[in-house]
Amino acid sequence: MRLLLVEDDQMIGEPLLDLLRAESYAVDWVRDGEMANTALQSQNYDLMLLDLGLPRMDGLAVLRAARARKQRLPVLVMTARDALPQRVEGLDAGADDYVIKPFELDELLARVRALLRRAQGRAEPIYEHLGVALNPATHEATVNGQPVLLSAREWSVLEPLLARPGLVLSRQQIEEKLYGWKDEISSNAVEVYVHGLRKKLGAGVIQTVRGLGYLVPKE
Amino acid sequence: MSWALRLPAWIRTTSASLKGRLLIFLLGAVCLAAALQAWSSYRTALQEADQIFDYHMQQMALSLGGSLSGGVHDSNDDMELVIQAWTAEGLQVFQSTARARMPARAVLGFSNVTVNDHMYRVLSVQSGGQTVQVAQELAVRERLARRLAVRTVVPVAAMVPLLMIVVGWVVSHSLAPVERVRAQLSRRAADDLAPVASEGLPAEIQPMVGEFNSLLGRVQQSFEAQQHFVADAAHELRSPLTALKLQVQLLQRAPDEAARQLAQTRLAAGIDRASRLVEQLLLLARHDTQGAPRQPVVLAPLVEQVVGEHAAAAQARGIDLGLARLDAATVPGQPDALAVLMRNLVDNAIKYAPEGGKVDVSLVAEPGTREVRLRVEDNGPGIPPQERERVLDRFYRSPDRPQEASGSGLGLSIVNAIAERHGARLVLDASQALGGLRVDVVFASADAAATPSV
Repeated sequence: MRLLLVEDDQMIGEPLLDLLRAESYAVDWVRDGEMANTALQSQNYDLMLLDLGLPRMDGLAVLRAARARKQRLPVLVMTARDALPQRVEGLDAGADDYVIKPFELDELLARVRALLRRAQGRAEPIYEHLGVALNPATHEATVNGQPVLLSAREWSVLEPLLARPGLVLSRQQIEEKLYGWKDEISSNAVEVYVHGLRKKLGAGVIQTVRGLGYLVPKE
Repeated sequence: MSWALRLPAWIRTTSASLKGRLLIFLLGAVCLAAALQAWSSYRTALQEADQIFDYHMQQMALSLGGSLSGGVHDSNDDMELVIQAWTAEGLQVFQSTARARMPARAVLGFSNVTVNDHMYRVLSVQSGGQTVQVAQELAVRERLARRLAVRTVVPVAAMVPLLMIVVGWVVSHSLAPVERVRAQLSRRAADDLAPVASEGLPAEIQPMVGEFNSLLGRVQQSFEAQQHFVADAAHELRSPLTALKLQVQLLQRAPDEAARQLAQTRLAAGIDRASRLVEQLLLLARHDTQGAPRQPVVLAPLVEQVVGEHAAAAQARGIDLGLARLDAATVPGQPDALAVLMRNLVDNAIKYAPEGGKVDVSLVAEPGTREVRLRVEDNGPGIPPQERERVLDRFYRSPDRPQEASGSGLGLSIVNAIAERHGARLVLDASQALGGLRVDVVFASADAAATPSV
């Protein structure tokens, strides 16, 4: 899952970036509104974490612009503006959720998971398909009830595929969910992770559609 | 109230009330007036009685002359006259009721005579070959005058209770709006600073209530400023607290030693920033509330000290920090506050000047002017003209720059607060010499103002 983190305060952005990455998200961090606006138009993000008091372009303006472009990605606003009218304004501008600084990291992560879940049209917190179950909250994976150890990257490849069975994701789309801007990408990385996953989960879970990409078949 | 202190205690206690005071003094005044009136009508009546009775005595004596004879007569005359008559030979031929024995008199005309401790008015005339003497006791006249005097005072005395009632009612009635204001105020919540309604109040009390309302207005303003400040401060503390929380999480989740080291460094930096912010907030709160400073401060050593303190920080960023000019100048103020002001200015300049940049500090006291100009300029990005007003606002940050690790958004607010308390102007402009920001703090010089009075 690829997230856009918009936060101008270096002392918040830096640790948040590291903590989100440790949760196996691919995260891009921008420090002003204009860059956030540009990033939203050049990449497909699964979710945006948005601070409101931003240089160059206010967070709410970024949000409104994204909604005006019909971008439907979930947006979680993180702000110190806690007055009721401001919270209402934020939600009405198109935010899906609102956390007030200083927030608890665990709560933030839970809200991120909930928003991602909802965006995929699911209500249940665990992905379960073809005997493979992923729990994003605990990062526990099981195959037919037996725990399996997945690396963070393997998880990142499997999660979007398992989230929408039957949907083909191209190698590039999977790469986007794997890496932030500054990460080095080796050309066959996705193949390597898919290979590893097939060994752990069994061959039938991830199927290759030649020339197109990968999918997890519907039942 | 000083006059009240000289009054007897019983008046003082009663006169704490406007009504009581009015009643006491009015009663006193009415009694005094009645007494004066009684005395003056007594005097007038006495004078008139003298004239009338004297005239009457004269008429009587003249008309009686030559006609009196036959010893002692009774007189029912309420004028209580004593009449005697003698022949030219000195033989008494008439004596009215022997109420008093009057001396045989020798002098003609009016005279006052004392017989048996009673004063008499005596008139002797010669008429019709007889000497007639008419005498009247003066007490009679006095009694009459007294009666008249009392008669004039009675109506006044009768009116006193009525007058008191009317005065009491008028005072109570006039003061009812005051009581209403009091009741209003007593029901007020501590933070209700709305003006008191002044309609219906006596004109004498209106100005007081007006002043009170304008005081409430000022209190309200400073109250609101404080509330804003607290709200702003709470808001501003949220960012460093968020950072601290995240950094602690990062530290807890660090998978290896290197990550732990990094997390610790960041946590320490976060704590530094939070402490700095709290420190700045305290400084601002202190300099907002302190009274006016009054102590001659020699600026040059202070400037040297502050520049010296920042030499290391400037060198670390390769910045050329130096004194461009240092005139001797003294301003009235507080040395600690002025040092804080200078520190913030130099701090800012070093923060915003580019690496390898330049910061100039100068203290200028032109002999012709009465101004002392403390100037700090840098070759940083400066502040665009439209933002120069707003940067003095608390927590204001440039919309074009991301939040820096060390910025609290309070530096220039603190400078401004201190400058204001020193009656100094803060002027922000583009630096002609270096191209960045130039901050001037313009003081009125103490040397020029009043040397002996300090």
